[in-house]
Amino acid sequence: MSGPGFAAPASIAELGDVLTAAPRPLRLIAGGTDVLVAGRALPASGTLVDLTRIAAMRGIAVDARYLRIGACTPVAALCREAQVRALLPALADAAAQCGSVQIRNRATIGGNIANAAPAADLVPVLHAAAATLRILTTGGTIADAPIGEYLPDASGAILDVVIPLDPAWNRSGFAKLGPRREVTIARLNIAICAGFDGTRFGKVRIFAGAVAPRPRRLARVEAALAGRALDAATLRAFADALADEVNEATRGRASNAYKRRAVIGVGMDALAKTVGMDCDAHPFAGFSP
Amino acid sequence: MPSTLSLTVNGRSVSAPAEPGERLSRFLRERLGLTGLKEGCCEGECGACTVLLDGEPVNSCLVLALQAEGCEVVTVEGLSGDGLGDLQAMFIERGAVQCGYCTPGMLVAAEGLLRNNPEPTDAETRSALAGNICRCTGFQTIIDAVVATAAARGQAGDAA
Repeated sequence: MSGPGFAAPASIAELGDVLTAAPRPLRLIAGGTDVLVAGRALPASGTLVDLTRIAAMRGIAVDARYLRIGACTPVAALCREAQVRALLPALADAAAQCGSVQIRNRATIGGNIANAAPAADLVPVLHAAAATLRILTTGGTIADAPIGEYLPDASGAILDVVIPLDPAWNRSGFAKLGPRREVTIARLNIAICAGFDGTRFGKVRIFAGAVAPRPRRLARVEAALAGRALDAATLRAFADALADEVNEATRGRASNAYKRRAVIGVGMDALAKTVGMDCDAHPFAGFSP
Repeated sequence: MPSTLSLTVNGRSVSAPAEPGERLSRFLRERLGLTGLKEGCCEGECGACTVLLDGEPVNSCLVLALQAEGCEVVTVEGLSGDGLGDLQAMFIERGAVQCGYCTPGMLVAAEGLLRNNPEPTDAETRSALAGNICRCTGFQTIIDAVVATAAARGQAGDAA
Protein backbone atom coordinates (compact mmCIF):
# COMPACT_ATOMS: atom_id res chain seq x y z
CA MET A 1 0.00 0.00 0.00
CA SER A 2 1.52 3.28 -1.10
CA GLY A 3 -0.76 5.55 0.95
CA PRO A 4 -2.59 8.66 -0.21
CA GLY A 5 -1.17 11.29 -2.53
CA PHE A 6 -0.84 14.92 -1.60
CA ALA A 7 -2.06 17.94 -3.53
CA ALA A 8 -1.51 21.55 -2.54
CA PRO A 9 -3.32 23.67 -5.13
CA ALA A 10 -2.24 27.33 -5.19
CA SER A 11 -5.44 28.78 -6.65
CA ILE A 12 -9.17 28.09 -6.81
CA ALA A 13 -8.76 27.07 -10.46
CA GLU A 14 -6.14 24.49 -9.46
CA LEU A 15 -8.39 23.31 -6.62
CA GLY A 16 -11.17 22.82 -9.19
CA ASP A 17 -8.85 20.58 -11.22
CA VAL A 18 -7.92 18.58 -8.11
CA LEU A 19 -11.55 18.17 -7.01
CA THR A 20 -12.65 16.91 -10.41
CA ALA A 21 -9.67 14.74 -11.36
CA ALA A 22 -7.52 13.66 -8.36
CA PRO A 23 -7.66 10.02 -7.23
CA ARG A 24 -10.53 9.31 -4.82
CA PRO A 25 -11.24 9.36 -1.93
CA LEU A 26 -10.48 13.06 -1.42
CA ARG A 27 -9.77 14.31 2.09
CA LEU A 28 -9.70 18.08 2.33
CA ILE A 29 -7.46 19.53 5.03
CA ALA A 30 -7.00 23.13 6.11
CA GLY A 31 -5.97 23.77 9.73
CA GLY A 32 -5.98 20.02 10.48
CA THR A 33 -7.20 20.50 14.05
CA ASP A 34 -10.09 18.08 13.49
CA VAL A 35 -8.82 15.98 10.55
CA LEU A 36 -5.52 15.01 12.21
CA VAL A 37 -6.80 14.15 15.67
CA ALA A 38 -5.30 10.77 16.63
CA GLY A 39 -7.70 7.91 16.18
CA ARG A 40 -9.31 9.39 13.07
CA ALA A 41 -7.61 7.40 10.37
CA LEU A 42 -6.46 9.17 7.24
CA PRO A 43 -7.49 7.38 4.04
CA ALA A 44 -5.07 4.64 2.96
CA SER A 45 -5.37 5.75 -0.67
CA GLY A 46 -6.74 8.67 -2.67
CA THR A 47 -5.62 12.27 -2.15
CA LEU A 48 -5.01 14.60 0.77
CA VAL A 49 -5.89 18.06 -0.49
CA ASP A 50 -4.20 20.91 1.39
CA LEU A 51 -6.30 24.09 1.13
CA THR A 52 -3.90 26.39 2.99
CA ARG A 53 -1.88 27.50 -0.07
CA ILE A 54 -4.85 29.26 -1.69
CA ALA A 55 -4.59 32.95 -0.81
CA ALA A 56 -8.05 33.67 -2.26
CA MET A 57 -9.59 31.44 0.44
CA ARG A 58 -8.22 33.57 3.29
CA GLY A 59 -9.23 36.98 4.56
CA ILE A 60 -12.16 39.12 5.61
CA ALA A 61 -13.87 41.68 3.38
CA VAL A 62 -16.79 43.99 4.05
CA ASP A 63 -19.00 45.94 1.68
CA ALA A 64 -22.35 47.66 2.21
CA ARG A 65 -24.31 44.40 2.12
CA TYR A 66 -22.08 41.53 3.13
CA LEU A 67 -19.36 40.37 5.46
CA ARG A 68 -17.33 37.81 3.48
CA ILE A 69 -14.92 35.48 5.23
CA GLY A 70 -12.63 33.16 3.28
CA ALA A 71 -13.12 29.56 4.38
CA CYS A 72 -9.44 29.14 5.30
CA THR A 73 -9.38 32.24 7.49
CA PRO A 74 -8.04 31.11 10.87
CA VAL A 75 -10.29 31.34 13.91
CA ALA A 76 -7.64 33.60 15.54
CA ALA A 77 -8.25 36.22 12.82
CA LEU A 78 -11.97 36.25 13.64
CA CYS A 79 -11.23 37.22 17.26
CA ARG A 80 -8.65 39.84 16.21
CA GLU A 81 -10.41 41.52 13.33
CA ALA A 82 -12.18 44.73 14.40
CA GLN A 83 -14.72 44.47 11.59
CA VAL A 84 -15.94 41.08 12.81
CA ARG A 85 -16.13 42.39 16.38
CA ALA A 86 -18.14 45.42 15.20
CA LEU A 87 -20.49 43.72 12.71
CA LEU A 88 -21.06 40.30 14.28
CA PRO A 89 -19.74 40.28 17.86
CA ALA A 90 -21.26 36.84 18.46
CA LEU A 91 -18.85 35.40 15.90
CA ALA A 92 -15.85 37.13 17.48
CA ASP A 93 -16.90 35.84 20.90
CA ALA A 94 -17.46 32.30 19.65
CA ALA A 95 -14.06 32.37 17.93
CA ALA A 96 -12.34 33.61 21.10
CA GLN A 97 -13.78 30.65 23.05
CA CYS A 98 -12.83 28.04 20.45
CA GLY A 99 -9.97 25.77 21.59
CA SER A 100 -6.58 27.12 22.66
CA VAL A 101 -4.26 29.74 21.14
CA GLN A 102 -2.54 26.93 19.23
CA ILE A 103 -5.87 25.61 17.90
CA ARG A 104 -7.18 29.06 16.98
CA ASN A 105 -4.01 29.81 15.00
CA ARG A 106 -4.66 26.81 12.74
CA ALA A 107 -8.40 26.02 12.85
CA THR A 108 -10.45 27.66 10.10
CA ILE A 109 -14.04 28.86 9.82
CA GLY A 110 -14.60 26.56 6.84
CA GLY A 111 -13.22 23.63 8.78
CA ASN A 112 -15.53 24.31 11.71
CA ILE A 113 -18.49 24.10 9.29
CA ALA A 114 -17.21 21.11 7.31
CA ASN A 115 -16.29 19.08 10.40
CA ALA A 116 -19.92 19.51 11.48
CA ALA A 117 -19.38 18.64 15.14
CA PRO A 118 -22.64 19.00 17.08
CA ALA A 119 -20.74 21.17 19.60
CA ALA A 120 -19.09 23.46 16.99
CA ASP A 121 -18.95 27.02 18.32
CA LEU A 122 -18.95 29.11 15.15
CA VAL A 123 -21.71 27.19 13.39
CA PRO A 124 -24.76 28.21 15.54
CA VAL A 125 -23.69 31.86 15.10
CA LEU A 126 -23.53 31.40 11.32
CA HIS A 127 -27.01 29.83 11.34
CA ALA A 128 -28.39 32.71 13.43
CA ALA A 129 -26.74 35.20 11.05
CA ALA A 130 -28.32 33.43 8.01
CA ALA A 131 -24.93 32.84 6.38
CA THR A 132 -24.59 31.52 2.86
CA LEU A 133 -21.70 29.32 1.75
CA ARG A 134 -19.97 29.63 -1.61
CA ILE A 135 -18.94 26.11 -2.51
CA LEU A 136 -16.69 24.66 -5.21
CA THR A 137 -18.38 21.36 -6.02
CA THR A 138 -16.55 18.16 -6.83
CA GLY A 139 -17.87 18.67 -10.37
CA GLY A 140 -15.84 21.90 -10.56
CA THR A 141 -18.77 24.35 -10.50
CA ILE A 142 -19.38 27.08 -7.91
CA ALA A 143 -22.70 27.07 -6.07
CA ASP A 144 -24.21 29.10 -3.22
CA ALA A 145 -26.04 27.31 -0.44
CA PRO A 146 -27.66 28.56 2.76
CA ILE A 147 -25.70 27.09 5.66
CA GLY A 148 -28.77 25.10 6.71
CA GLU A 149 -28.66 23.15 3.44
CA TYR A 150 -24.94 22.34 3.52
CA LEU A 151 -24.12 18.62 3.54
CA PRO A 152 -20.57 18.09 4.84
CA ASP A 153 -19.56 14.94 2.98
CA ALA A 154 -21.27 15.64 -0.32
CA SER A 155 -20.86 19.31 -1.02
CA GLY A 156 -17.26 19.94 -2.12
CA ALA A 157 -14.94 22.66 -0.78
CA ILE A 158 -16.33 25.71 1.01
CA LEU A 159 -14.67 28.80 -0.51
CA ASP A 160 -16.33 31.65 1.42
CA VAL A 161 -18.80 32.31 4.18
CA VAL A 162 -21.07 35.20 3.24
CA ILE A 163 -23.00 36.95 5.99
CA PRO A 164 -25.71 39.47 5.05
CA LEU A 165 -25.49 42.83 6.77
CA ASP A 166 -28.88 44.39 7.55
CA PRO A 167 -29.49 47.26 10.00
CA ALA A 168 -32.69 45.47 11.11
CA TRP A 169 -30.35 42.87 12.70
CA ASN A 170 -28.08 45.20 14.63
CA ARG A 171 -27.21 42.98 17.62
CA SER A 172 -25.78 39.55 18.28
CA GLY A 173 -24.64 37.51 21.25
CA PHE A 174 -23.02 34.14 21.95
CA ALA A 175 -22.55 32.19 25.16
CA LYS A 176 -21.13 28.75 25.83
CA LEU A 177 -21.04 26.30 28.68
CA GLY A 178 -18.31 23.66 28.87
CA PRO A 179 -16.60 21.57 31.53
CA ARG A 180 -13.85 24.18 31.94
CA ARG A 181 -13.35 27.81 31.00
CA GLU A 182 -10.84 27.47 28.17
CA VAL A 183 -10.00 24.74 25.64
CA THR A 184 -13.38 23.24 26.24
CA ILE A 185 -15.95 21.52 24.05
CA ALA A 186 -19.40 23.06 24.46
CA ARG A 187 -21.97 21.14 26.45
CA LEU A 188 -24.33 23.87 25.29
CA ASN A 189 -24.00 27.03 23.27
CA ILE A 190 -26.52 29.66 22.23
CA ALA A 191 -26.26 32.19 19.41
CA ILE A 192 -28.66 35.12 19.01
CA CYS A 193 -29.03 37.63 16.18
CA ALA A 194 -31.65 40.31 16.74
CA GLY A 195 -32.86 43.79 16.13
CA PHE A 196 -32.90 45.79 19.37
CA ASP A 197 -33.48 49.53 19.76
CA GLY A 198 -32.43 49.81 23.40
CA THR A 199 -35.80 48.86 24.87
CA ARG A 200 -37.62 46.59 22.44
CA PHE A 201 -36.67 43.62 20.23
CA GLY A 202 -37.43 43.50 16.53
CA LYS A 203 -36.78 40.29 14.61
CA VAL A 204 -34.90 37.52 16.41
CA ARG A 205 -33.10 34.34 15.31
CA ILE A 206 -31.76 31.93 17.94
CA PHE A 207 -29.86 28.65 17.50
CA ALA A 208 -28.58 26.22 20.11
CA GLY A 209 -25.55 23.96 19.65
CA ALA A 210 -24.80 20.61 21.31
CA VAL A 211 -28.47 19.71 21.80
CA ALA A 212 -28.90 17.90 18.47
CA PRO A 213 -26.73 16.63 15.59
CA ARG A 214 -26.90 20.08 13.97
CA PRO A 215 -27.59 23.55 15.44
CA ARG A 216 -31.25 23.68 16.37
CA ARG A 217 -33.41 26.70 15.72
CA LEU A 218 -35.41 27.65 18.80
CA ALA A 219 -38.55 29.17 17.24
CA ARG A 220 -40.53 29.45 20.46
CA VAL A 221 -37.65 31.21 22.17
CA GLU A 222 -37.45 33.64 19.26
CA ALA A 223 -41.22 34.27 19.59
CA ALA A 224 -40.79 35.03 23.30
CA LEU A 225 -38.55 37.98 22.38
CA ALA A 226 -39.63 39.19 18.93
CA GLY A 227 -41.43 42.53 19.12
CA ARG A 228 -41.37 42.56 22.94
CA ALA A 229 -39.90 45.01 25.40
CA LEU A 230 -36.90 43.89 27.47
CA ASP A 231 -38.51 43.43 30.89
CA ALA A 232 -38.93 40.78 33.56
CA ALA A 233 -42.01 39.25 31.92
CA THR A 234 -40.17 38.85 28.60
CA LEU A 235 -37.19 37.28 30.37
CA ARG A 236 -39.49 34.83 32.14
CA ALA A 237 -41.11 33.82 28.85
CA PHE A 238 -37.62 33.53 27.25
CA ALA A 239 -36.36 31.29 30.07
CA ASP A 240 -39.45 29.06 30.00
CA ALA A 241 -39.26 28.66 26.22
CA LEU A 242 -35.53 27.80 26.39
CA ALA A 243 -36.13 25.11 28.99
CA ASP A 244 -39.07 23.66 27.01
CA GLU A 245 -37.27 23.54 23.70
CA VAL A 246 -34.06 22.07 25.07
CA ASN A 247 -36.08 19.56 27.09
CA GLU A 248 -37.71 18.42 23.84
CA ALA A 249 -34.44 18.39 21.89
CA THR A 250 -32.62 16.24 24.45
CA ARG A 251 -35.50 14.04 25.68
CA GLY A 252 -34.35 10.51 26.47
CA ARG A 253 -30.68 11.46 26.73
CA ALA A 254 -28.67 11.30 29.94
CA SER A 255 -27.80 14.99 29.64
CA ASN A 256 -31.45 16.10 29.56
CA ALA A 257 -31.85 16.88 33.26
CA TYR A 258 -28.71 19.01 33.17
CA LYS A 259 -29.17 20.76 29.84
CA ARG A 260 -32.80 21.76 30.25
CA ARG A 261 -31.83 23.72 33.36
CA ALA A 262 -28.38 24.91 32.34
CA VAL A 263 -29.64 26.37 29.08
CA ILE A 264 -31.44 29.11 31.00
CA GLY A 265 -28.16 30.48 32.35
CA VAL A 266 -26.43 30.14 28.97
CA GLY A 267 -29.37 31.83 27.24
CA MET A 268 -29.40 34.70 29.74
CA ASP A 269 -25.65 35.23 29.19
CA ALA A 270 -26.15 35.28 25.41
CA LEU A 271 -29.10 37.66 25.70
CA ALA A 272 -27.26 40.03 28.05
CA LYS A 273 -24.44 40.22 25.50
CA THR A 274 -26.96 40.76 22.69
CA VAL A 275 -28.50 43.79 24.39
CA GLY A 276 -25.13 45.04 25.67
CA MET A 277 -25.88 44.65 29.38
CA ASP A 278 -24.19 43.03 32.28
CA CYS A 279 -25.97 39.94 33.61
CA ASP A 280 -26.18 41.77 36.96
CA ALA A 281 -27.94 44.80 35.42
CA HIS A 282 -31.67 45.46 35.51
CA PRO A 283 -33.83 43.64 34.32
CA PHE A 284 -31.45 40.66 34.48
CA ALA A 285 -30.61 41.45 38.12
CA GLY A 286 -32.18 39.04 40.53
CA PHE A 287 -33.62 36.95 37.72
CA SER A 288 -33.76 33.44 39.05
CA PRO A 289 -34.07 30.58 36.56
CA MET B 1 5.22 8.24 -1.81
CA PRO B 2 7.39 10.65 0.17
CA SER B 3 7.99 14.15 -1.19
CA THR B 4 10.92 16.39 -0.36
CA LEU B 5 9.99 19.05 2.16
CA SER B 6 12.04 22.25 2.38
CA LEU B 7 11.58 24.67 5.23
CA THR B 8 13.50 26.73 7.77
CA VAL B 9 13.90 25.16 11.21
CA ASN B 10 15.46 27.16 14.01
CA GLY B 11 16.98 29.52 11.47
CA ARG B 12 18.53 26.79 9.31
CA SER B 13 17.29 25.77 5.84
CA VAL B 14 16.57 22.04 5.74
CA SER B 15 15.22 19.56 3.20
CA ALA B 16 14.09 16.03 4.03
CA PRO B 17 11.57 13.50 2.75
CA ALA B 18 8.06 13.45 4.24
CA GLU B 19 5.06 11.20 3.63
CA PRO B 20 1.71 12.85 2.74
CA GLY B 21 0.06 11.80 6.02
CA GLU B 22 3.10 12.52 8.22
CA ARG B 23 2.60 14.96 11.08
CA LEU B 24 5.00 17.88 11.47
CA SER B 25 5.73 16.68 15.02
CA ARG B 26 6.96 13.30 13.69
CA PHE B 27 8.92 14.95 10.92
CA LEU B 28 10.74 17.22 13.37
CA ARG B 29 11.43 14.44 15.87
CA GLU B 30 12.24 11.50 13.61
CA ARG B 31 13.58 13.02 10.40
CA LEU B 32 15.42 15.99 11.95
CA GLY B 33 16.17 14.53 15.39
CA LEU B 34 14.61 17.49 17.22
CA THR B 35 13.32 15.44 20.12
CA GLY B 36 12.77 18.43 22.42
CA LEU B 37 9.14 18.67 21.40
CA LYS B 38 6.96 15.87 22.71
CA GLU B 39 3.89 14.17 21.32
CA GLY B 40 1.54 13.89 24.28
CA CYS B 41 -2.04 13.42 23.17
CA CYS B 42 -1.86 13.87 19.38
CA GLU B 43 -5.21 15.64 19.47
CA GLY B 44 -4.37 19.23 20.34
CA GLU B 45 -5.31 19.01 24.01
CA CYS B 46 -1.92 18.91 25.77
CA GLY B 47 0.30 21.37 23.87
CA ALA B 48 3.53 19.38 24.46
CA CYS B 49 4.27 19.50 20.71
CA THR B 50 3.89 23.30 20.42
CA VAL B 51 6.19 24.97 17.88
CA LEU B 52 6.16 28.43 16.34
CA LEU B 53 5.01 28.20 12.73
CA ASP B 54 5.73 31.49 10.98
CA GLY B 55 5.87 33.06 14.45
CA GLU B 56 2.56 31.72 15.82
CA PRO B 57 2.24 28.88 18.35
CA VAL B 58 0.58 25.79 16.85
CA ASN B 59 0.23 22.14 17.80
CA SER B 60 2.73 20.46 15.47
CA CYS B 61 0.87 17.13 15.87
CA LEU B 62 -2.08 18.70 14.01
CA VAL B 63 -0.09 20.05 11.06
CA LEU B 64 0.88 17.86 8.13
CA ALA B 65 4.61 18.13 7.55
CA LEU B 66 4.01 18.92 3.88
CA GLN B 67 1.81 21.86 4.89
CA ALA B 68 4.94 23.51 6.35
CA GLU B 69 6.66 23.76 2.95
CA GLY B 70 8.52 27.08 2.84
CA CYS B 71 7.54 27.96 6.42
CA GLU B 72 9.67 29.01 9.33
CA VAL B 73 9.54 26.68 12.32
CA VAL B 74 10.96 27.29 15.79
CA THR B 75 11.18 24.39 18.26
CA VAL B 76 12.38 24.50 21.85
CA GLU B 77 15.90 23.86 20.55
CA GLY B 78 15.64 27.22 18.80
CA LEU B 79 15.06 29.12 22.03
CA SER B 80 18.60 28.64 23.30
CA GLY B 81 21.74 30.05 21.77
CA ASP B 82 25.08 29.04 23.28
CA GLY B 83 23.41 28.21 26.57
CA LEU B 84 19.92 28.32 28.01
CA GLY B 85 17.64 31.11 26.87
CA ASP B 86 16.34 33.59 29.46
CA LEU B 87 12.90 31.98 29.58
CA GLN B 88 14.42 28.53 30.10
CA ALA B 89 16.70 29.84 32.85
CA MET B 90 13.73 31.49 34.57
CA PHE B 91 11.74 28.22 34.45
CA ILE B 92 14.58 26.62 36.42
CA GLU B 93 14.90 29.53 38.82
CA ARG B 94 11.17 29.53 39.59
CA GLY B 95 10.87 25.75 39.90
CA ALA B 96 8.53 25.58 36.91
CA VAL B 97 9.82 22.16 35.83
CA GLN B 98 9.14 18.80 37.43
CA CYS B 99 9.00 15.81 35.07
CA GLY B 100 9.71 18.11 32.12
CA TYR B 101 7.43 16.49 29.56
CA CYS B 102 5.23 19.57 29.13
CA THR B 103 8.12 22.02 29.43
CA PRO B 104 9.20 22.33 25.76
CA GLY B 105 5.63 23.12 24.73
CA MET B 106 5.18 25.53 27.64
CA LEU B 107 8.39 27.34 26.69
CA VAL B 108 7.50 27.67 23.03
CA ALA B 109 3.91 28.77 23.74
CA ALA B 110 5.21 31.30 26.27
CA GLU B 111 7.84 32.56 23.80
CA GLY B 112 5.07 32.98 21.20
CA LEU B 113 3.09 35.01 23.73
CA LEU B 114 6.03 37.24 24.68
CA ARG B 115 6.95 37.96 21.05
CA ASN B 116 3.38 39.13 20.32
CA ASN B 117 2.71 40.73 23.69
CA PRO B 118 5.90 41.69 25.57
CA GLU B 119 4.05 42.75 28.74
CA PRO B 120 1.28 40.21 29.27
CA THR B 121 -0.93 40.36 32.34
CA ASP B 122 -1.34 37.35 34.56
CA ALA B 123 -4.72 36.65 32.92
CA GLU B 124 -3.29 36.95 29.40
CA THR B 125 -0.49 34.57 30.34
CA ARG B 126 -2.96 32.03 31.73
CA SER B 127 -5.08 32.28 28.60
CA ALA B 128 -2.06 31.93 26.30
CA LEU B 129 -0.97 28.77 28.13
CA ALA B 130 -4.48 27.28 28.46
CA GLY B 131 -3.62 24.87 25.64
CA ASN B 132 -0.62 23.47 27.54
CA ILE B 133 -1.25 20.95 30.26
CA CYS B 134 1.16 20.17 33.10
CA ARG B 135 0.28 17.21 35.32
CA CYS B 136 3.05 17.70 37.90
CA THR B 137 3.85 21.14 39.20
CA GLY B 138 0.63 22.99 39.07
CA PHE B 139 0.65 26.02 36.88
CA GLN B 140 1.52 28.86 39.24
CA THR B 141 5.31 28.57 39.01
CA ILE B 142 5.07 28.37 35.23
CA ILE B 143 2.95 31.55 35.07
CA ASP B 144 5.37 33.20 37.50
CA ALA B 145 8.35 32.31 35.30
CA VAL B 146 6.72 33.75 32.17
CA VAL B 147 5.68 36.97 33.90
CA ALA B 148 9.16 37.33 35.47
CA THR B 149 10.82 36.81 32.07
CA ALA B 150 8.61 39.51 30.56
CA ALA B 151 9.58 41.87 33.38
CA ALA B 152 13.29 41.08 32.99
CA ARG B 153 13.15 41.62 29.22
CA GLY B 154 11.33 44.92 29.81
CA GLN B 155 14.03 46.10 32.22
CA ALA B 156 16.78 45.01 29.83
CA GLY B 157 15.00 46.94 27.06
CA ASP B 158 14.68 50.05 29.26
CA ALA B 159 18.35 49.91 30.20
CA ALA B 160 19.49 49.59 26.59
